[in-house]
Amino acid sequence: MDKKQTKRSPQRPTFRKVLQKSALSFLALSPLLLGIIGLVGLFQVLVTPKMLAALFKGNGVIDTLIGTLAGATAPGNPVVSYLLGGELLKQGISLYAVSAFVISWVTLGLTQLPAEVEVFGGRFTLYRNILAFLFTMLIATLTTLTVQVLT
Amino acid sequence: MKEQDKPFKNGDKPFVFRGKYLLFIVLILYGLLFIGNSQAAQLALQKSGKTIVKIVPILLMVILLTSLLNFFLQAKQIARHLGEESGGKGWFWALAAGVISHGPMYIWYPLLEDLRSHGMKDAFIVVFFASRTIKIPLLPIMIDYFGLTFTLVLSFYLLIGALIQGLIMEILQPQN
Repeated sequence: MDKKQTKRSPQRPTFRKVLQKSALSFLALSPLLLGIIGLVGLFQVLVTPKMLAALFKGNGVIDTLIGTLAGATAPGNPVVSYLLGGELLKQGISLYAVSAFVISWVTLGLTQLPAEVEVFGGRFTLYRNILAFLFTMLIATLTTLTVQVLT
Repeated sequence: MKEQDKPFKNGDKPFVFRGKYLLFIVLILYGLLFIGNSQAAQLALQKSGKTIVKIVPILLMVILLTSLLNFFLQAKQIARHLGEESGGKGWFWALAAGVISHGPMYIWYPLLEDLRSHGMKDAFIVVFFASRTIKIPLLPIMIDYFGLTFTLVLSFYLLIGALIQGLIMEILQPQN
């Protein structure tokens, strides 16, 4: 019994130590997180919804690409993308473009790129963002086509 | 493979602040904006402050979650559930965790980095990020704006798309 206990103690640290270690690793990342939050704040002020809405041209294919890029640039809560997307639909912008905009708002983040590179590495970030970019356009197209067939 | 692309072990590293240069650049940008348009800079600062207040509770939750995972699961167990040998279970957990995760993407970086250093596959990180587009608390709002059919179809394709992106990541960046 005693043997077991003495064997176990060096392997399993106390919860307090584990918590301390986790808190320290978050603290080490705090300049990075503050940097992103600051960038998001700047983008929220400098990139207005009006500016984003003005980007769309009324061409389905180009608008899907613009929707993906605009969603990747825009920061903030995804609800804002729904509000903006709803307004864009009312303005006659295609569902392809609006779907791409709503998806890329969450999956792609220009302001988060420096942090993603720092934490996961350049190659991972490059692959993930290329995949997210291509799949945003693919999913937006498939969703719109399926909705058109179903309704 | 570049050094920064390799999964690293947090515990073995000395304490070093990361992202200092990014923060420095952002501070310079704020400084420039203050000179050019102080009102816009103040507004940006206010918005950033609000974001900090909003994410602190989520951040505390993620710290607690990281600690609980590290306390109850040994590195080998994490690798078994989320590593090469995890099988279908790992894909399911990555997908489910992405769907139920709250807050901005960057809040989850430290936890994912920690899990990665314990053997979590890169493909699962891709699945986690891709499936985050589905936000359960926001589904009623999405239905309200775009309709039930659109929401269901989009959610279906997002889940399938997340898994395919993970599979492609495995081909692009195979891990031992």
